[in-house]
Amino acid sequence: MSDDGPRLLERAKAGDGQALEELLTPVLEVAFRLAMTMLNDREAAEDAVQDAAFKAWRKLDRVRPDAPLRPWFLAIVANECRSARRGRWWKVLRFPEVRSTGTMVNLEERIDLATALERLAPKHLLPLSLYYHLDLPIEEVARVLDCSEGAARVRIHRALAALRPAMAIEVDG
Amino acid sequence: MIPDDPELRRALDARSGEPSPEFRGGLHQALARGRPAANWIPAIAVATVIVLTVASVGVLLAARNLAHPPHGGLVSGARTASPTTSPTESPVVLPSQAYLSAPSRDIVWAFVDYRLLFRSQDSGQTWERRQLPLGVDTGRLVFTFADADNGWALLAISPATQCQAEGAQIWHTADGANTWRLITSVAAERAGGNGIRAEQCKEFISFVDKARGFVTAWDDNSPPTIYRTIDGGATWKSSRLPDPPGFQTATGGFTLRAQDVYRLGNVLLVTAYGMQESGGKGYVFKSIDGGAGWTYTAPIPSPAIAVAFVTESRWLQVILPGQSVETTDAGRSWHAYASDYGQAAPVSPQVVFGDASVGYATVRGSIQRTEDGGLHWKYIKTPGT
Repeated sequence: MSDDGPRLLERAKAGDGQALEELLTPVLEVAFRLAMTMLNDREAAEDAVQDAAFKAWRKLDRVRPDAPLRPWFLAIVANECRSARRGRWWKVLRFPEVRSTGTMVNLEERIDLATALERLAPKHLLPLSLYYHLDLPIEEVARVLDCSEGAARVRIHRALAALRPAMAIEVDG
Repeated sequence: MIPDDPELRRALDARSGEPSPEFRGGLHQALARGRPAANWIPAIAVATVIVLTVASVGVLLAARNLAHPPHGGLVSGARTASPTTSPTESPVVLPSQAYLSAPSRDIVWAFVDYRLLFRSQDSGQTWERRQLPLGVDTGRLVFTFADADNGWALLAISPATQCQAEGAQIWHTADGANTWRLITSVAAERAGGNGIRAEQCKEFISFVDKARGFVTAWDDNSPPTIYRTIDGGATWKSSRLPDPPGFQTATGGFTLRAQDVYRLGNVLLVTAYGMQESGGKGYVFKSIDGGAGWTYTAPIPSPAIAVAFVTESRWLQVILPGQSVETTDAGRSWHAYASDYGQAAPVSPQVVFGDASVGYATVRGSIQRTEDGGLHWKYIKTPGT
């Protein structure tokens, strides 16, 4: 949190929406990228981040002025993404004809990996997104996952194994 | 060491994106409107408990000579506060979410934006705001209604890893969601719940009349469970869906998830969806004994699209003009259906029918209504927006 952070935090706790927006601005982009990788759908990601912002607002009283805001907010975003993937099956699958595509060198590999990511359970997708996509240090990954650094490493390894079952990956704990 | 994985980084990048200026602007406006109303619920809950406690002391003092036996079976009741409107509450901004329950052609309920409950008694032309169970903003909440008065809310709380267990509460209203009573409570770490076990995530609740209802549950490693009650939710029994032809339940997420249960005539129907190595699969199951046993009936042609049961044998998948399909023989064959239903969002709508003519479809909070069995659709105003 910046020098103004504690002041903004107090204002946001008091109900000042502009203060909350200023608090969230530095983490909004990374939060949105996390939601996109978790949901693979722009509108769903926007819904998740907006809902997370409001949930964060309700929970601000639990935030200490000296606590890092980013892992706390990312954990809320991740929870919203998990909720979005719960429930109606057809909220998880999209119409095939509008499924998003990316640009990678090897088309076959791209399709295989993209399909595997689409099918990956949120509990595996989250640590991979945090570590490989957002490039968060393992300490922060652990904070978002609410576990120890060792446990975070295990979860990343397990997620890699789930992504590519054929690959034998040794878990180093 | 955690291995680097450039290929994975690229694949994740391909799924990612930047927030658009429109989204930033919308968030700015939403935050400027003030803190969400749900923040008031705990305060209302505390106030209600204080009021009820004070009132209870008075009642107990007045009735100290009367020795009523305690209620058996049901969890002690809790009731909502009087209808309240927060001064900071803002209209719902679409896209959002709406969850519909249509017990008859005239009666339809909508749970909008995960926080506002509405009832219509004129097929969605006018809506009235109703009350949520008190203090249930901590989990996943879904509703079902048997008529204009009787409804049930399922609150799923704190799922364990791979949905191996999950706590849940079931609330009942008999006065049109003016007040609610907690009738079943399941703790994730222990058995209980009047027959509903802690195992598995509790997904949907559906009542087909005032007495008979169903709760579906699933996890990542075993077949789905469908709980059934014949006494309005006081007690529950369970059965499991069998693997349909071509589907093999396996650990790691290769399992089915049952959705809402519908009664068409004397038959109960439920859809179930799941993933196999070859992709997503969808199936319809049938019960002719009130849900004690379920048998596979038919595959679903497009597993990414919800099936709407219009009658026992006529089912629809409405998608986009030119792409909707219909079966009139309970899934044995499907053919193109010239519905004018259309939408912008690339996800399937939730579609429910109150009878063979009147139905509703909702996606991202927008609601459309048909009065001719699904052929023509018109947008109606989403309540709360």
